[in-house]
Amino acid sequence: MKLVVAMVLLTDVLCAQIGHAPVNADSAIIRDFEKRVAAYLQLRKSIESNLPKLKATPSEEKISHHEIQLRHAVREARKYARPGDIFTPEISAEIRRLIAMAMHPDGPEIRQSLRSAEPVQLHLAINEKYPDGVPLQTTPPSLLENLPALPPEIEYRITGRDVVLLDAKANLIVDIIRGVFS
Amino acid sequence: MIAIGSRCAILFLGILTLDAVEDLPLKQGSVRFAVIGDMGTGDKAQYEVAQQMERYREKTGFDFVLMLGDNIYGGKSPADMKRKFEYPYGPLLDAGVKFYASLGNHDNPNERFYKPFNMGEKRFYSFRKGNAEFFALDSNYMDPQQVEWLTNALRDSNSTWKICYFHHPLYSDGKFHGPDTDLRARLEPIFQASGVRVVLSGHEHLYERIKPHGGIYYFVLGNSGELRPHNLKPSPDTAKGFDTDRDFMMVEIAGDELYFQTISRTGETIDSGVIDRK
Repeated sequence: MKLVVAMVLLTDVLCAQIGHAPVNADSAIIRDFEKRVAAYLQLRKSIESNLPKLKATPSEEKISHHEIQLRHAVREARKYARPGDIFTPEISAEIRRLIAMAMHPDGPEIRQSLRSAEPVQLHLAINEKYPDGVPLQTTPPSLLENLPALPPEIEYRITGRDVVLLDAKANLIVDIIRGVFS
Repeated sequence: MIAIGSRCAILFLGILTLDAVEDLPLKQGSVRFAVIGDMGTGDKAQYEVAQQMERYREKTGFDFVLMLGDNIYGGKSPADMKRKFEYPYGPLLDAGVKFYASLGNHDNPNERFYKPFNMGEKRFYSFRKGNAEFFALDSNYMDPQQVEWLTNALRDSNSTWKICYFHHPLYSDGKFHGPDTDLRARLEPIFQASGVRVVLSGHEHLYERIKPHGGIYYFVLGNSGELRPHNLKPSPDTAKGFDTDRDFMMVEIAGDELYFQTISRTGETIDSGVIDRK
């Protein structure tokens, strides 16, 4: 936990050098990011449409079976996925900038939010499953407010020093920005 | 609010507690429910709390339970779901009691598809019982879409009582986690603007009733299975605390009054009181 807090503090220091505008949904970088996210989602939806539809069920077996099938199929379809396919260098730089900006006015709250969650130290890879039994670190609302909007199927998550894109239903790491909090 | 709950009349941290009513009044037509948090360990203590809950169901006839997250710790296999949910709460489930879950940081978000959790396949949702509406939130991921949904849902609700529940507490004197102040900065103004009177959270493995902030009563109840003994560091904000055993809470809403009674694993009432809507 201390490590994460220290990392956040470092990010906070970075913001002193930053005086840019907040997220601009019309910028070419953000539009490109949205296109890449939409392409992932389209692929994921087309894969899921071939699986039996998951509805509320008393069978945990059916839920985990769906999760596993979806994850394996997406993984297979993206077996050549590499860091930066969605988080391109330009987008990564923009997200770092937006996080640093969010830390500027809301730094103490964000630090407290991260402290009060259960920070995890993970080094995940693309196409990897978010590990069983490891708590999900809360993504502070102030950060989410400052980052480009995502469709509900995909989430920004903090894992150790990294920001990952997590497909929550498939429980799958879609892309990663390394060392955001260092 | 007049808090009612100690065995004798005392002044506890500035809040008047009276020895008037420990048990719920069981008024005709009232809404009755139980609250549990951080329960899904599958350990003996969780089963013992569940047994107390069944005793209180027989006594009070409550018919639903709010779950404050960390519903299932560790593995989530079918066997885990049985051991950590279906078996301990089997007598309640058999009696037709419905459970309404919110997600904690130890939960898999796909628990929203688990029918006995009644989440309607959603991370955040609301439902109504009598004159009360309940808003289950996902505090792990309070994105702008959820904030917008909550703002609109609270604004559109015409219920007498609006009760929000989610995992991470906005106020807490627990030493291990403490409050989530970023979440507080986002949610509290919405709660205050829309007449929310009671907020329930878990995460901290203890029980704490916080003195009201802006007319809102905050409860932390994260010890229905887990326990972090002696982890409460009471502050001037603490109205009542309990960190030496597990517990659950009983609530009864009758018109403009909300009665609460917090009961330990061994059946002792550790806190109780009544909150007026106004």
